[in-house]
Amino acid sequence: MSARETILSRIRRATGGGDPASVEARLAGGQGAPIPRQGRAEGDARVEQFIAKARAADATVSRLATADDLPAALAAELRARNLPAAIRTGADPLFDRDWGPVERSTGTGRLDEPATLSRARMGMAETGTLLLASGPENPVTLTFLGETHFVVIDAADIAAGFEDMWAGWRARGLDPRTVNLVTGPSRSADIGQTLQLGAHGPVALHVFVLG
Amino acid sequence: MSAHAPTTPRFKQNAREALANKNIQAAMGNAQAGFVAKRAAARAALPEFDDIRDAARDLKNHVLANLDAYLERYEAKVTAAGGHVHWAETAEDAQRIVLDICREAGAKTVNKGKSMISEECGINDFLEEHGVRAQETDLGEYIIQLRHEMPSHIIAPAVHVTVPEVEAEFRKAHTHLDPGRNLAELPSLLAEARGVLREKYFGAEVGITGANMLIAETGQSVIVTNEGNGDLSQSLPRVHIVMASIEKIVPTLEDASTVLRVLARSATGQEITVYTTFSSGPRRPEDPDGPEEYHVVLLDNGRTGMLGTEFQEMLRCIRCGACMNHCPVYQSVGGHAYGWVYPGPMGAVLTPSLIGVEKGGQLPNASTFCGRCESVCPMRIPLPKMMRHWREREFEKNLTPSAARWGLAAWRFLGTRAWAYRLVTAASARALALAAMGKGRLARLPMGGGWTAHRDFPAPQGRTFQSQWRGER
Repeated sequence: MSARETILSRIRRATGGGDPASVEARLAGGQGAPIPRQGRAEGDARVEQFIAKARAADATVSRLATADDLPAALAAELRARNLPAAIRTGADPLFDRDWGPVERSTGTGRLDEPATLSRARMGMAETGTLLLASGPENPVTLTFLGETHFVVIDAADIAAGFEDMWAGWRARGLDPRTVNLVTGPSRSADIGQTLQLGAHGPVALHVFVLG
Repeated sequence: MSAHAPTTPRFKQNAREALANKNIQAAMGNAQAGFVAKRAAARAALPEFDDIRDAARDLKNHVLANLDAYLERYEAKVTAAGGHVHWAETAEDAQRIVLDICREAGAKTVNKGKSMISEECGINDFLEEHGVRAQETDLGEYIIQLRHEMPSHIIAPAVHVTVPEVEAEFRKAHTHLDPGRNLAELPSLLAEARGVLREKYFGAEVGITGANMLIAETGQSVIVTNEGNGDLSQSLPRVHIVMASIEKIVPTLEDASTVLRVLARSATGQEITVYTTFSSGPRRPEDPDGPEEYHVVLLDNGRTGMLGTEFQEMLRCIRCGACMNHCPVYQSVGGHAYGWVYPGPMGAVLTPSLIGVEKGGQLPNASTFCGRCESVCPMRIPLPKMMRHWREREFEKNLTPSAARWGLAAWRFLGTRAWAYRLVTAASARALALAAMGKGRLARLPMGGGWTAHRDFPAPQGRTFQSQWRGER
């Protein structure tokens, strides 16, 4: 008997075969766990809560009226952070624009990359979290190899909490290799139990909320 | 597992040594208060926390009752996404499967994200013995790999290491850097580790991560991290191997979210960790990065033997570490005293299940049964009850030391004979009252030296509660 069959038959002996109908019901969405109030904000309060939670997780956030404001805002952020006027992005059409003084390169993450720019497909106000989907538009390595990571998110893509984020996610019908939920810049408390920002991922995370 | 054979059978000696070790005591003293306060604050900030714990408990009970169906569903989804699922009955089987994948990939170096299952399987040493270098990338795991140690905590593996010890270890290991460099400040230590490890990310052919959850609905494996190392470990090498145990399954994305809502809050007091990553299959044809192969090793290693027994509830564990953070025994002796992969209350229940009560039987005895572990467990696992079950099994198997057996037999004799109980307690109360000579306390107690070594024993007043009760009426 294969290891697979051995393990499955041991489980069946112990459980008596389970309840297949309850499995189908659960997979069809019959969950019913409580959704905290924190995950149910509505209207513009949702965007406000997203921004407050992201800041609480040590991200910085600025709100722009439209994507046309991106190049100037990015250039200003790079200058303010003393970073070179260069950005690396994926092939998202949102980034096909005139970046002015900022030199834009496209491709995957590299060893020494001062700044990268990604687009979050969705986000949620519950915890100030961004959802990034891997693919040619957003190479997954850009999320982890930039010293400073810039992320653009449309205010309309910010869900209240996990439940409506997943509903929206399924509606989009995407199937990327990797979905990254990102909340603030990377950190570690492994040395002396003292929290420090900038472990292996970015040292800083800045979010541009559009709209 | 040659270098890391369990020292669990010598728990008492380990504990004595840990209590006398100044570095361990200093490090543990720093750590615990932080964990406890942060969890309490996170819980207070989420009014629905306890209701979500109930939902998480019910969710995992449902999964365990239908584990075969969910595993099959999960496997089908992984395969449909182009991934491979490997079933491993034992740690040795898992070692062999991982080595075969590494050889197939021509791997000389494997980068590892943090994985307790890989610790349980002793993967690092096994790969090294077969010519494959396993490089830990989680900062804490990296530190203990340099020190040739096991993790002393399931989420903070280097919690027992002091800052000066980290500095000494880095100076010893990073000989290519200027010996005169200043490492006095914490940020300089973190920056050095970041720099050293970042270059290593690009050299590995295989990346191994664990999995906090496996989602049946989508075939995704989920890792929960703060550093980003698990993501670089799985995104840069050509092959990604996930090592997970069979009970890590959850049905849907919403169910995963229920677990996520209690996991980080219970572990570090965060509402959510910095990174929560869902991975399915290899990179898509049009993708510019990500692994080209995706393997999942599903480990049993004794878990199916817990199903249907009084230890089944332990399989709800999501490895947050809250039980050990709140345990007075763990806080005093640290994780290494437990002698194997899983320390603290969850280890005291899990270790005898996985390596046998013959080797692990001392751990469930190392508890005051204060119940803090159960009270903070996000999955509401009745840890003290299960430790008691292990004590019973140990007794049944005649593994309990003779002094303890004799004591239990004497207690049973008294406890089942009311007249004898009254006689002996009345005599003891009178004798102890006399011995206290009116001072109300005793500095020494026959056969109770371990107790009175650290505090006085309050002396009885002369009459037992039972006799006073009868007198009042």
